[in-house]
Amino acid sequence: MAGVIKKTTGLVGLAVSHNPHERLRILYTKILGSLQTMPQDAAYRKYTEQLITQRFNHVKSEHDVEKLEKKINCGQIEEVISQAEAELALSRKMTEWKPWEPLVEEAPANQWKWPI
Amino acid sequence: MAASLVRFVRNGFGRSLNATVRPKDPVTHTQLSEFGEYIAEILPKYVQQVQVTCFNELELMIHPEGIIPVLTFLKDHTNAQFHNMTDLTAVDVPTRQYRFEIVYNLLSLRYNSRIRVKTYTDELSPLDSSVPVHQAADWYEREIWDMFGVFFANHPDLRRILTDYGFEGHPFRKDFPLSGYVEVRYDDEVKRVVAEPVELAQEFRKFDLNSPWEAFPAYHKRKSLHSEFLFGLLLASEDWLLPQ
Repeated sequence: MAGVIKKTTGLVGLAVSHNPHERLRILYTKILGSLQTMPQDAAYRKYTEQLITQRFNHVKSEHDVEKLEKKINCGQIEEVISQAEAELALSRKMTEWKPWEPLVEEAPANQWKWPI
Repeated sequence: MAASLVRFVRNGFGRSLNATVRPKDPVTHTQLSEFGEYIAEILPKYVQQVQVTCFNELELMIHPEGIIPVLTFLKDHTNAQFHNMTDLTAVDVPTRQYRFEIVYNLLSLRYNSRIRVKTYTDELSPLDSSVPVHQAADWYEREIWDMFGVFFANHPDLRRILTDYGFEGHPFRKDFPLSGYVEVRYDDEVKRVVAEPVELAQEFRKFDLNSPWEAFPAYHKRKSLHSEFLFGLLLASEDWLLPQ
């Protein structure tokens, strides 16, 4: 194991994380827990579970930070952490909004017609 | 000069005459339409229509109740990450029942991708403000309020931004005249600027700029079968007008 912690992320306001694996483990578990509250056939639950379990497996299998960043392929590990935090907040809001329900109201007949 | 002539002849007349036609990009088109289907599958409650324009731009038409959910989803979801709101405008189409069409343009730096979200409203129905999701929407919503009269609920500070302090009316509406209703001048007697009804030296002239030929024959609305038959005859006789 390399054991070398990078000095800076290069991004303003984003500090280097000392224990990214632990942080990601906690966040992904919370997201998966929040997704359990949605119905099984909801598309959001299906796709997000797929995505999060894939990333979670990468985190569990790869212990080197740099190799993990390459495997996940979505920027630096600190950015991956902020993406996970956003996804957690989103999944909690989705349980309130329930967007998998059918359409609220159809648009009037010529609303989206262009040219008029 | 000689080299360009050689290139012209070698490429053939067909391709060089079509040099100004935008090349189609089917790969980007399919990528965008698949992403649009993905979003429509996740948010069926709010998404009414999804389309990809001929310029490869993804557009998402949503119900006005879904502004905050859809924008939050597009910002926070890992597969979307549209953190930038590049533009927020309104379009006035007075013939529609909901005359104002609000357009949000978003940009994802992570995936180098843009998306357009459209909603609708009329003069009196308020919309949810998107300021809690994107702070950039603040002044844009003030501008829409000032210019169109669309009210945004839960906006931190919704007041006029471009018009004069006592200005009445919403200038970007289609029924607001080009010269406005009021003009200002400095009055020496009262020693301040006064606003008076506008007086133009020349009355407004409207020019009919239509060309005698049809601009977009592919989009022509056929009213009845009889007119279609006659129109077909007309088109056949105009074959020589078609580009090579």
